[in-house]
Amino acid sequence: MALPSAASPLRRSQRRTAALFIVPFFVLFAVVMVAPIGYALWMGLFQERSSGLGFGGAERVFSGLDNYTDALADDGFRSSFAHIALYCALYIPVMIGGSLALALLVDSALARAKRFFQLALFLPHAIPGLIASIIWIYLYTPGLSPVLDWIGAFGGTWDFYSNDHVLASMVNLCAWQWTGYNMVIFYAALQAVPREVIEAAVVDGAGALRTALRIKVPMIASAVVMTVLFTCVGAIQIFTEPKLLNQRGAPSIDTEWSPTLFIWKAGFVQHDYGLAAAASLLLAALGIALSYFVTRLGNRWKAATS
Amino acid sequence: MTRTSRSFRTASLAAVTALGLLATVTACGGGDSSGAASDGKPVTLTYWTWTLGAKSTVEAFNRTHKDIQVKFAEIPSGTEGYSKLANAVKAGNAPDVATIEYQMVPEFASQGNLIDLTEYAGETVKSKFPESVQSLVTFGGKTWTVPYDVAPQLYYYRTDLFKKYGIEVPKTWDEFKTAAEKVKKQDKNVRLASMPKSDPALLAALSWQAGGKWFATEGDAWKPGVNDAATKKVAAYWDGLVNDDLVQSYAGWSPEETKARTSGKTLSFLGASWSAGGMKTSMPDLAGKWAAAPMPNWGTAASGNYGGTSYGVLKGSDHAEAATEFITWLTTNKAGVEARLADLESPSSALPANPEMREVAAAKFDTAYLNGQDVYALASQQVDTIVPGWTWGPNQMDVYTAVQDTAAKSGFVAGVDAGQQKAESGIEDRGLKLAK
Repeated sequence: MALPSAASPLRRSQRRTAALFIVPFFVLFAVVMVAPIGYALWMGLFQERSSGLGFGGAERVFSGLDNYTDALADDGFRSSFAHIALYCALYIPVMIGGSLALALLVDSALARAKRFFQLALFLPHAIPGLIASIIWIYLYTPGLSPVLDWIGAFGGTWDFYSNDHVLASMVNLCAWQWTGYNMVIFYAALQAVPREVIEAAVVDGAGALRTALRIKVPMIASAVVMTVLFTCVGAIQIFTEPKLLNQRGAPSIDTEWSPTLFIWKAGFVQHDYGLAAAASLLLAALGIALSYFVTRLGNRWKAATS
Repeated sequence: MTRTSRSFRTASLAAVTALGLLATVTACGGGDSSGAASDGKPVTLTYWTWTLGAKSTVEAFNRTHKDIQVKFAEIPSGTEGYSKLANAVKAGNAPDVATIEYQMVPEFASQGNLIDLTEYAGETVKSKFPESVQSLVTFGGKTWTVPYDVAPQLYYYRTDLFKKYGIEVPKTWDEFKTAAEKVKKQDKNVRLASMPKSDPALLAALSWQAGGKWFATEGDAWKPGVNDAATKKVAAYWDGLVNDDLVQSYAGWSPEETKARTSGKTLSFLGASWSAGGMKTSMPDLAGKWAAAPMPNWGTAASGNYGGTSYGVLKGSDHAEAATEFITWLTTNKAGVEARLADLESPSSALPANPEMREVAAAKFDTAYLNGQDVYALASQQVDTIVPGWTWGPNQMDVYTAVQDTAAKSGFVAGVDAGQQKAESGIEDRGLKLAK
């Protein structure tokens, strides 16, 4: 008899405390996630229709899934996915590979001034993405760029905006911003690798390279999978860089080069909010699907290596 | 430097706002206009613009008006500015008054963003503005905005460098091409001019000058002609100059374009009446070295409108009458026009559409930068040569981006074809009637 009466007030107060901590999250989640998504779903079901010359006003009519089929039938929207697929295929290996290599270098027994390199490599990430893009675009632009002047001084030519080079220019810009950031994550994960495991590997005769690739990388597999996941989700939403490259006149980067640019144009240039909402949800669906597959593949890889 | 394409410079702003895209597409909003006038308190109007001299204009208005007070905020021009306005209307917190360029009037009116001003300003527009300008703000028998300026094209050139290279000011496009060849022959790093692929409004003005008509109405149907014969001729001409490397093609309104002008690598540019106002700030060291001339033409004197602004009252405003009073003061009152030119840093050189106001503005404009040249008189003469009958379309921005995207990839001729396609599909997608 004494037991429940002593436990239940405790449990009740615990529950109250738990609720106190949890409720703000759910309130915010409902207001800034669930409600907007619901509203976007709703908006995606309507289209604005006018008649004649259009000066008699427009009315909003229910159009079912027309916005979704319109988006999927749009050449611009479809090719925007091809563009970002190509971009991801180039960007993710370069950026993740680069930051992994740097993290392993800084972590290696040979490295000196580890703190300095950590900070120096992280610095680009401290610069807002928009500013970074403007700086790089300045370096890419003929007539302004000192880099191009140097190339010219040695008799060479290079066009950062040409159809063949512009994707590499964009990957370079993004990798510059994100390599250091991911390097810091990898480096932190490497710190958690037990030193005795590495010592054991060394005692067994593994060289530095072998230790890095066979011991260290598998042990930070979780961190690698997590960064690949975040990078994928971020990369399919790329906006600032193509937007600015478009304005600087890179011919192959058009105003609907990436899905987010298409959505932005549909919403804010064409004022077609239904189409923009539908396209946003399609992009979100891709993000969810991609997260699922990356996590599954990642888990399989982790299981295989550990 | 007041016009559409400032967007292409300030679009970074949009980039920031649009990062939160998934959320903002679904943005909802509240807010309402302030104050009622009946209790003797002054009506407070909000006013969004990007035009030069707006601050001094609003200050002068507030000083002289007790019952109406205006609060002014600067917004970006071009696509970003119009997006901001359209979204504000949607969200119910739009300003009372905003600057709407002629090219955006049909689009804004047909999307329900403007209040019909026929009742308040119909008479003013009819009695005080030339017919060619009235037709840019009157659609479906209703007056949608009140015009401020006309923007006849003007050709600006470096007097010192023209002398150095032995170039006469070209009067026709043939002479322009010959001059461009002559310049390139003398210095492979210098060109006569630059033709941006990212400024479809300039291509539109050049097509207008050649007699093209990108849009027309037939009864209650739209008839787009973005790739009509005159426009094709213009597009092919510029494709030729670009392909033969006779002109540069810097991005419009970009730092590299300005740098090429200031460093003497570009000898002239295709502008309009309003261009003179911004030169003082963008190229301060070149005072006295520029002059303006009529735009080269196709054989007979002709000009297109390159830009040009009007003022509208946005849907949701509770003070349409007071707003119209402010607009009328801005566009047809001597004090309003003078106040706009009172800003000494970057005075507006826009040419008022109302002929009486032209003299007011001309008397106030400082001509020192252009070596004393009376640019207002020159621009006024050009107004008479503006080709009549041009109409802007109900999905102008969309057509512009289609022209721009394709022109960047495959030249102006392909660009205007893409523009025509977009014009037709855009009209039908919205349920508007397309003339067959």
